Amino acid sequence: MLKDKKPSLKKAFIASTISFISILPMIIAVVGLIGLFQTYVTADMLSTLFGYSAFSDIIVGTFAGAVSSGNGAISYVIAEGLQSQGVSVYALSTFILAWVTLGFVQLPAEVSVFGLKFTSYRNILTLLSTIIVSYLAVITTRLFV
Amino acid sequence: MKKLEFKGVKFLIFVVTLYALLSIIDFANSLLGFQKFLYILWGLLPIFLFIIILTTMINYFLKPKQIMKYFGEDSGKKGLIYTIIGGILSHGPMYAWYGMLDDMRKHGLKDGLIASFIYARAVKLPLLPFMIDIFGIVFTVIINIYIIIFAVLQGKLIDMLMKK
Repeated sequence: MLKDKKPSLKKAFIASTISFISILPMIIAVVGLIGLFQTYVTADMLSTLFGYSAFSDIIVGTFAGAVSSGNGAISYVIAEGLQSQGVSVYALSTFILAWVTLGFVQLPAEVSVFGLKFTSYRNILTLLSTIIVSYLAVITTRLFV
Repeated sequence: MKKLEFKGVKFLIFVVTLYALLSIIDFANSLLGFQKFLYILWGLLPIFLFIIILTTMINYFLKPKQIMKYFGEDSGKKGLIYTIIGGILSHGPMYAWYGMLDDMRKHGLKDGLIASFIYARAVKLPLLPFMIDIFGIVFTVIINIYIIIFAVLQGKLIDMLMKK
């Protein structure tokens, strides 16, 4: 792969392709799981989880975002619908942040590449960061608006 | 030349088994899931190509010593800034980037910078208009600043925790 001597462009390309092919089973597995998640966990289903209380909305927002998968744009479409249902900005932002930073579906893949220790620390920190960032953003915005 | 060692084979076997079982008990939805799988995979092909080209460029232009210099233990602020910018500009799903990050990690990329890169990806430039539409411009600017701050903090914490 990355040798001390500069490799030829062809060798660098072959090495990169081999490196990518080696993680293909993992990528195919993650995408396969996402296909099933998108089939069984629909936007309507997620919407029904919100609206019980402000606190539960935040917890639901974080976990719903974490278990959801797919293009980040979908999270905004769902958030827009939830906003019209009166779900708090705090819950909506945790939902969107969790959607793009966490991913239960890709956890096995992350473990296989980076190891259990790194994956555990990173995901716990990300979970906490998601809640804290959303909270700080809401109270900071109140100072300006 | 690098040997081909597949990663995630057991995970793939699990997912294939899951599809097989679901096709017996719920054929229509398993087929729908499979169609979605093909659709997503098709959409990812340009991103895969981009990542292979980017990894080729890194392999070609950066020697391991340079990777250590820019992204290793003593990379400092410069390495962090490059990483955050890279995270913000990177497209596609996170798992598509695992191969490249793993490759660079083997040549000195710090764990903290991997965490920073992943969290900085929460700043989604193409989706900012959606965010402004839902939350307003003030909230959008503030939350994205916090995301960058927390990407830095997460990197520092991961480095500390991984050393233990």
